[in-house]
This record gives sequence, C-alpha cells and structure tokens, in this order.
Amino acid sequence: MERISAKLTGVFLTVCLLFSGCGTSLPQSGQNSQPFPETAETWESPEELYRKALSEDILIVYTVTSRAALTKDAFEKEYPGLDVEIRDLRSPNLIEAVEENHKKGLRDCDVVLCTDSSGDFLDRLVKPGLVVPYLPPDIRVHMKEGTENGMVSFLNEAELLFYNPEKYKTCPVSNLWELTKEHYRGKIYMPNPLRSFSTYALCTAVFEQEKALTEAYQSCFGTPLSVPSGESAASMFWTMLSKNAIFTNSSDEVAEALNDGIADFGICVSSKLRFREIGYKMEPVQKLLPFCGCRTSYSVMLSSDALSPNAAKLFIRFLLGEADGKGEGIRPFCTPGTWSVRDDVDDGNTIPREDFDLIEPDQNYLIETKEEMERFWSDLLKQESGTQT
Amino acid sequence: MKKQILLIGILLILCLSGCSSRQNPAVLHIAMPFSDMVQDPDTNYYVNWLREQTGLSAEISLIRGTDGMDYLNELFSSDADIDIVLFGNGFSVSRKDLEPFMEKGLIDVSGEDPFYLNTGTSVPGNTGQILWINMEWLSKLQLSIPETTQDLKTVLTAFRDRDPNENGLADELPFAGTFEAYAFSPAEFILSSYVYNDPYHSRYGFGAEKENCLAATEEFRKGLSFCRELFDERLLILRGDKRELAELINSPVCLVGAFTAESISDMIYQGNPEILAKYIHVSPPAGPEGKQNAWYSFHEPEVGAVIVGRSTKKEEARLFLKTMLTKEASLIAGYGQQGTDWDFSDGTDVSIYGGPSGIVTRNYIWNTPQNKHLNGIGPMQIPEEYLTGVTWNGINSDAEYIDARAQMTCRKYLPESRDFHEPDPLLSSVIDEAVKDFVTGKREIGSDEEWNEYLQSLQECF
Repeated sequence: MERISAKLTGVFLTVCLLFSGCGTSLPQSGQNSQPFPETAETWESPEELYRKALSEDILIVYTVTSRAALTKDAFEKEYPGLDVEIRDLRSPNLIEAVEENHKKGLRDCDVVLCTDSSGDFLDRLVKPGLVVPYLPPDIRVHMKEGTENGMVSFLNEAELLFYNPEKYKTCPVSNLWELTKEHYRGKIYMPNPLRSFSTYALCTAVFEQEKALTEAYQSCFGTPLSVPSGESAASMFWTMLSKNAIFTNSSDEVAEALNDGIADFGICVSSKLRFREIGYKMEPVQKLLPFCGCRTSYSVMLSSDALSPNAAKLFIRFLLGEADGKGEGIRPFCTPGTWSVRDDVDDGNTIPREDFDLIEPDQNYLIETKEEMERFWSDLLKQESGTQT
Repeated sequence: MKKQILLIGILLILCLSGCSSRQNPAVLHIAMPFSDMVQDPDTNYYVNWLREQTGLSAEISLIRGTDGMDYLNELFSSDADIDIVLFGNGFSVSRKDLEPFMEKGLIDVSGEDPFYLNTGTSVPGNTGQILWINMEWLSKLQLSIPETTQDLKTVLTAFRDRDPNENGLADELPFAGTFEAYAFSPAEFILSSYVYNDPYHSRYGFGAEKENCLAATEEFRKGLSFCRELFDERLLILRGDKRELAELINSPVCLVGAFTAESISDMIYQGNPEILAKYIHVSPPAGPEGKQNAWYSFHEPEVGAVIVGRSTKKEEARLFLKTMLTKEASLIAGYGQQGTDWDFSDGTDVSIYGGPSGIVTRNYIWNTPQNKHLNGIGPMQIPEEYLTGVTWNGINSDAEYIDARAQMTCRKYLPESRDFHEPDPLLSSVIDEAVKDFVTGKREIGSDEEWNEYLQSLQECF
C-alpha cells in the first residue's frame, strides 16, 4: 500500500512538473517578446529590420484605405521575401476587429491604418494601449507639426462639400444654410454618420460651432435663428438638412452620385478628388459661410502584440516614405485631396488644405458626446427612413 | 399479481415505443452536389437548423463529377435509397428536362410544386451586363473613363500599346471576354451603344418597337462592324469559356484592361481583394448616335429540389423542402447565421440599393468557403424587400456592395417599359451565331451579300 501510494505521489509530481513547463509557452495578449516604447528610442535601420523580418510570419495590415494595397505591392517588390496581407475594413469594423483580436489573444494584426477623426480610435485602441505609435527619428524630423500626438498621422484629409460641375458652372451656394432649402430635396448625398467616421467627425464638430452657425443663419435668411429649448443651431441645421439628404453607405457612393449626375451636392472625404483624374465630375467647395467641411486625418500604428514586429516597423517606414521622402510607399497617398504630413514630400495638390474653410474636430468632445450624438443620429435616421425613397 | 405485472409491462412497452419514435426520427436521405464553398454539409449550420425545425434526421450524400441529368439517370436506374435531390451551384436541371421523369412517376408530382424553386439571390430589376475597367491602368496612363465608343477604342488602344502592367511585355488584353454567356460577351455590350440589344428577348425592341427585331437593322450592322474593328486590332480578345477568362482576370500579373459581367464576383474571386480593388464599373458608352442602353438581367427560378418518386418518406421530404422555402430559412440560406453573419436593421442603416435597409450583413460569406449555409444549393426564396434591403458590412472588397453600386449607376440606362416581346429560341440562336461569326471574321460584315444572307435567315425565323 505504501509503495503504491509512493508511486502515485511520484506520478503526480511528474505530471505537475510537465504542466508547469506548458504554462509559460504562450504569450499573453498585450505582451510581446520585444517591447514597444511609445516612440522608437532604440532606432533600427531598415537593413536591420529587413534582416529580422525575413524570419517573421506574414505581415497583416488592417486598413480603411484601399490604397494600402498599392503600398503593399511596392513593399513586396522592395523587400523580396516579405509577404503582406491587407485586410480592407471600414473604421468601425476595424476597431471592433482589433479589440476582438486582443481579447481572444489572436495576434492577427500587425499594423493598423485607421481614421482617427471620430474619437473611437483614440478611446478604444490608443488609450488602452492596443496600438502604439512608431516613428523613427530619421523620419520624425520631416513630419509637420501636429502629426505626432500619441498617434502618428500619415494622411491629412477633409470631409468636404462637393458640387456637381456638369449642372453648375460655379458653386450655387455661398452659405451652408442654403443647403436646407426645399429645392435641394433629394439632391444632397452624404454617408450615414453612424457608419462613416469621417462624416461623424464633421457632424459632431458642427455642434461646437453654435455662434458661427447662428450668424450664418441670419446672413442667409435675414432673420435671427430662433432655437427651441432643448435644441441647438447644429441640431436644427442637421434636422433640416436630413430632409434633403440621401444617406449612403460610403463616400464612394457619394462620388458616384455626383458623377452620374443624380446629386447636386455631396459630402464625402476629400481623397475622392483623385477620381477626377479618371474623369469623375465633382468639384470641391473651397469657401463657404461659415465652413465647407472639417479636417480629418488617418493614423498608422503598430499593434502592441504584433507577431511580425520588425516587418511591421519596416512597413511603417516604407509607408511614410522612408528617411528621404522618396520611398514608394507614400506615392499612392500623394493624390488630390490628400495632403502630405511631411515637409519634404510634394503631395500634388494645387490647393493647400489651409485654403479651405475647414473646422477642426476636438477629439475629447467627440469622445464625451458620443452617446448623445449616436442617439441624435439614430432618432433622425429612423425618422427619415420612413420618408426616404 | 401476475396480471398486474403484465399490465405494467405492457404500459412500459407502450411508453418506450413512444419514446423510441421520438428518439429515432425519420431519416431522410438527401443527395446534394459537392461544393468547395460548403465545408461540411453534415455539420453545416443551416442543415442542423433544418433538422431542428422539422424534427427530422437528414443524411447527406455528396454528388461528385456528374451533371444533373446524368445523376438522375443513374439514380433511377439503381436502387439507391435517396429521398431528395438538391440542385444548385452549377448542378442543375431544367423543368423541361424533368418532364419525362415526372411522367414515369420517378419524381414525386403530388405536392403543390414538384420543383421547389430556388429564386437565388439576384435582385430583380438589375442590368444583365456591366463594364468593369482597370482603374489602375487608367490612372497610370492618365486616361479618363470612356464615355463614348470612340473613347473606349482610345482607351483600349492605350492599354494594348503602353504597357500599363509595366512588365516590358505586350501581354495586356485590352477588352477580354467570351461568347459563353451574354453577360461576358464584349460584343453584346458594344452593340448596346447602337441599338437596344436585349439578347434575352431575341433583340426585339419593346413598347412601340416591340415587333421590331433590332438585330436586322443597319445600326446593328454598324455595331458589329465596330466590334470587328476592335477584334482585328487585337483590342477585343475572346476566350473559350468563363473559366479561362476568370483565370486571366485573376492573374497576379494584371493582364486584363476591361471585361463585362453581371456581377464582379462572376469573374474575380472573392478572396482576391487586391484584384477587386483594381476595377471600377463604367456606364454604357454612347454610340455614334448617342445611344446608351442597358438590358435587364433575366434569371428564371431554378429547380431547387425534387422528391424521388419511390421515396417512402414523401410527407417528411415535403416538410423538409417547404421549411427550406420559408422566409426564416431563406434568410439563413442567403446570409448565414443571424446574430453572427447578419441581423435585422434597427432602422438606422442604409441599403446598398438606396433607401432604408432591412438586413445588416456582418460577414459576407457568399461564394466563400464556409459552413453556415449551402451557398445556393437547394430551394430558397428570399423576399425581395431583403434582397434589395441589405446594408454594407463595411468591407471594401464586398462584391455585393461593389455590384450594387454598379447597378445603381446603370439603372438609368434600363428601359422604363417592361413590355417585352416573347423570346424566340430559334431566332436567338441564329442571331447569336451570326454575332460570333461577324465579330471574328468568319463571316464578312462588310459584304452586302453575307449581310443579306443573314437577313434572309432572320426572315425565315419570323
């Protein structure tokens, strides 16, 4: 009996030893074999990164911009042996996917390219440390002011008002409130703000422009704006505009509606200006009382638990144009309506972004008012869905 | 005492026999075609859902390497125990094909509808052919989307001559297609810039022109002549079949400048988002007389399933198939698992066809390897309000969304009237053959003699 008991004890202890070895074999979500400082304090050259990246897995890039596919093609040519997989998603879906990855410990994302205009990106991915900035010093010296603030901007764009140049030789409106007039009913196309971060940013930023909107109303209609209790100039503006608006799923639909001649006006991301190069008929509104759009930007960040961190850093360097700005990775983003974040790269825009009447969304305001704004738009869209054709 | 024991025993047996029939539901033997897009029919979410809803057990046997008619002939000349045969996803039979089997009682005809139709996921009122052009090549060569047939020729010439895929080889296929189906034929597309060219209705006009076969007109001849010009100049490249064409379009080398299809996913694999991103839809170009036409796509509901005449479980089989035709089942068959792959909209979403949406898709699983539904195999009838009321799932490479946007652009070129002439299969076949011959030069479009012979052959059909 004693021998049996001793044997059993021995077997039990052996099993415990075996399982204790297994316990540490899987990395925990949020940790990595390499630390990611908030900025690259230990700078590695592209050659060093490339050497290390060759022994890593496929690089997975989550992106909201389809132009990343062109950067991928160029990257794979520049760095043979490295493979990139692009996952092309909308911003809300991208954020959910990154959160899900981390929650499940999947490590299925190395690099994230996402609009940072709605507050969600900052609130749900940056602040909790799911994504971290990577900006090596040899590229940082060329970045414009304001492009690094806990997030690394790689694109400056705008959510902008456009008009149909086939129908109007020049923009027929000089005041934003004119868009609420009845003869534009069904003629203004815009993405659903609950589905488009950039549109959401504009819609919310307008709520911070009470004074400017009130004055513009007076200028447009010749009478003071009477705001009922519980409302604001912005809520009145959007409620009135929604009666004229056709909501779409994306900026692409807005650009197509303008080009097809069914829209007189469209609100969409400025990067759709690049479609004019292939003949699309859409003209941006530069000057409008009190504003014609809002500034938006896109960030490129490292996933904090990237499985291929060296390939990821190399890809980010490549995307940002490398140290001399001549890298091919930035070329797909040097298109009309996309303004460079670097002071040494010509983005090909004939009109600087500063020449547009743009407002600036406040990230904290976007985060603080999120519930209220979602409720406002949810109610408005449900109301309008009963009347849209 | 013995009587009491006997009574209890009988009662027990009766109870157990009731239980055993609940524990052993009728087993339906269902034959369905193998599909790469259905990972495991036995554990498939939709099949399990049907089992639960009907209380029936379903055993699936997979059909491989044969077509619908051959399979049925083999089945009926064997004693294989099959109750239901499901069709779809390329494994098909027509209602006409089934008539001889029905007459012999080999297929059950006692139900309301012996065909258990599959109306598919095509949206009614869509155009049957869209031009998809390589936007990357347009950008590289600083060209605009063609608006006229002459613009189109200019663009195609540039594609041929200026090496837009930058590999130093003259391997570009400016406008690739096949005569295998109308949707894939560049000739049909170009002819629409000359006449209202509706191949599904034998090229008859409609409304006031309903009795005019537009394939007999000078405009039609001019259209064919233009096609021949493009063919001779190697701007129009024709391949044997859709499969070959799809391989060229999906080549990582980027070989094709333009192609036509009803849906972009007919040609570009869903798992190829980079290739999908290269192509953009284009409105029909205006011909020399300024005409821009689109024609309606035409999808007859397909046979979704039949019940085998010798089945001893016809009632159960009818229950199973009728369940597949319910709205709830059809939504699963079309979109997958509610709550995971899709959900009903809360009223704040926009349909990809404009207007409010009824369905929000989260995972687009159609034509991808998955195990949530049977990817179009078997009967289904998704109500039109849901077919046209789907919102975008946010993925840029979602073919359904790409298609919907193309359809919205082309809608205004569709005829308002739907007063179509009845199609004439013989006439259609004569015209189709002539289009092929004139475009490829087998018959000479410039020869009045050959053209008149063609007109004579049409007359014989009228």
